[in-house]
Amino acid sequence: MITVERLRRSFGDLVAVDDVSFEVRDGEILGLLGPNGAGKTTTLCMISGVLKPDSGRVLVDGRDIWLEPTVVKRHLGVVPQEVAVYEDLTARDNLSFWGSLYGLSGSELKERVDEGLTRVGLADRAGDRVKSFSGGMKRRLNLCMGLLHRPRFLLLDEPTVGIDPQARLNILEVIRGVAAGGTTVLYTTHYMEEAQELCDRIAIIDHGRILTVGTLDELTRLAGEAEVLRLTGGFAGGEARDRLQAIAGVRVLQAGDGSAMLSVAAGGPGLLAVLPAVLASGLALDDVSIQRPNLQSVFISLTGRELRD
Amino acid sequence: MAAFQILRRDLLRYLRNPGRTAFLLAIPLMMAAIFALVFGGHGDGGGITIRVLLWDEDDSLLGRLLQGAEDRPESEGRLEVVPVGPEGVEMMNRGDASALVHLPKGFTRAVIDGTPTAIEVVKNPAQQFLPLVVEEGVVLGATVLSAGSRALRPELDVISSFLDADDHPEDAAVASLSASFNRRARQFDLYVFPPVVTLEAVDVGAAQDEEASAKKPQGIAAVLSVFLPGFAILGVLFLAQSATRDMLHDRETGVVRQLLTAPVTPASYLVGKCLSVLVVSAAGLGLLVAAGVAAGVAWGPPLAVATVVVAAAVAASGTLLLVMSVVGSERQGDALATIVIMSWCMLGGAFVPLAQMPAFLHPIAKTTLVYWATSAFSSLIAGGGIADILPNLAVLAGGGALGIAIGAVVMERRLARGAL
Repeated sequence: MITVERLRRSFGDLVAVDDVSFEVRDGEILGLLGPNGAGKTTTLCMISGVLKPDSGRVLVDGRDIWLEPTVVKRHLGVVPQEVAVYEDLTARDNLSFWGSLYGLSGSELKERVDEGLTRVGLADRAGDRVKSFSGGMKRRLNLCMGLLHRPRFLLLDEPTVGIDPQARLNILEVIRGVAAGGTTVLYTTHYMEEAQELCDRIAIIDHGRILTVGTLDELTRLAGEAEVLRLTGGFAGGEARDRLQAIAGVRVLQAGDGSAMLSVAAGGPGLLAVLPAVLASGLALDDVSIQRPNLQSVFISLTGRELRD
Repeated sequence: MAAFQILRRDLLRYLRNPGRTAFLLAIPLMMAAIFALVFGGHGDGGGITIRVLLWDEDDSLLGRLLQGAEDRPESEGRLEVVPVGPEGVEMMNRGDASALVHLPKGFTRAVIDGTPTAIEVVKNPAQQFLPLVVEEGVVLGATVLSAGSRALRPELDVISSFLDADDHPEDAAVASLSASFNRRARQFDLYVFPPVVTLEAVDVGAAQDEEASAKKPQGIAAVLSVFLPGFAILGVLFLAQSATRDMLHDRETGVVRQLLTAPVTPASYLVGKCLSVLVVSAAGLGLLVAAGVAAGVAWGPPLAVATVVVAAAVAASGTLLLVMSVVGSERQGDALATIVIMSWCMLGGAFVPLAQMPAFLHPIAKTTLVYWATSAFSSLIAGGGIADILPNLAVLAGGGALGIAIGAVVMERRLARGAL
């Protein structure tokens, strides 16, 4: 189990991570979901022992990573957001070097390298220099490096950013396979769909703070039984927000830039009653859609913003 | 252990990219070769040749002496006398020779008669020193002729009368003239022989025995012996720059962060990188020395040369590690390192021998590790041994080790606080 206790880290006046605590239970995939700049990477850097926290601690199987770094790191596999490979070396060279850092050598190292390359679909490119690889291939190689020593804990920092759908599917499939084998996974992402598809539990982070942690069901319940109405039309300015706010049984999650999101509580006036009220308030309505409770609505209900912000 | 894996990986990268390393090593070799070609003649081992055009309208004895000088052993390959006519002026206009010596018609008779005459020397303005050598030589010849004309005036007057006479001179008159010359020669003997002052020319640093002299490099190899040590140091500094810049590249590409997620401490990463900088620098300098040997440079005792190679590699690594430890990015590192390398090479005598530099720069030169490395090589090339370069080795190894230590500490601190 990974236990994160009250981590805090600032860069000058900017508090990047503020009092972050959560646990990653053995064998589970925990998603750390948040928009860009929320503090996901900084948190992961502190958990992986790259960045020292200003305060707080990280325990991996009860061992503090900053007190016993070498012992703990032997059990960690880290896949950073940046593709950190040597492009002038071949895929096999990169993996062999990485494996040797974990004490692998000889036939064992070769077997692990072959196995890893096959797993991520790069066996036929083993002898090619990495600079000839596509972005998706480099990311798969990066993932392979993190898995080579068969870590008990795998930390992944947005491993699917900027790659094609096929490479993304391959990476997610590998992660599922690793987790099925008992590896504990911490997976940061700002893709809501990935978190929903892949993770057993999800921690939502924004502005350096953990807002909530739970399973998908638990989180959607947080948003209440409410349904979300997404409206498009003349919703610019503060006046539109005031008019929407005045409708009984409605909570305005967001309004402006020609769109608005309303939370309509269960037991309230109901969706059909809200629309005439919107029209009666004098606001122009072009389009309406109903959104079932999901991570997006959870995030909106917690932060008042959409995840893409 | 991790340090050696990092060293192994870096060396593998050099092997996988031989072009980059070859390019860095080719720069100093090319510069030294260009210097050798410019200053060392045309590659035939003959050195500098003075080409003199001789326009002797009088078919004089002096003209024949000048032509004969070309064949003397001490002038062999250094003096070329080309007999010409009036076309010699046009040849000079084309810059075909260092100087044109013109002996006018009646020159010999004027010397015999003791009447004023002149030797004309036309110099090539495109050359600095060689025309001056010709001019000085002609001035010396003219002085000897003038002195002889005055000292042998009675005898020369007799010869002049012989030349003016319609008939052949009487045997008695010739015998009298011969006896007179003989007496004058005996008189000169008192003043001229043995000479009070003799000239002895000795090459600085030359070995005393002829066998050693015979081993001295000639032509281009001799010029390479002067310039290659400095350029080799320039080359090893650029290699060290390339190797240390790799650390900044590692940081900017996220490799350092990823390495630190493995069981690799900042210290072991830095030790690995320092080792690779050292090995690459020493190997590069060794290759440059080997290239010099192939070109005929006699570096000196192999063990002493190897010691200088290692010490210079330590110095180069320490210098560049220190430079790279204080910069924020690869571009900053490149800019600062280039400034340091070029100014140190200028001041330290890598491009121009220290003896050719103004006196006020000599103390400044000694503050650069380039000076200590270059002078160590030069000392060995001049015939010195390891005992002669002990101060150089101490400065190079000590200064380099200090640079490595300070650079590593600064970098480790930056790594620890996440700034590297």
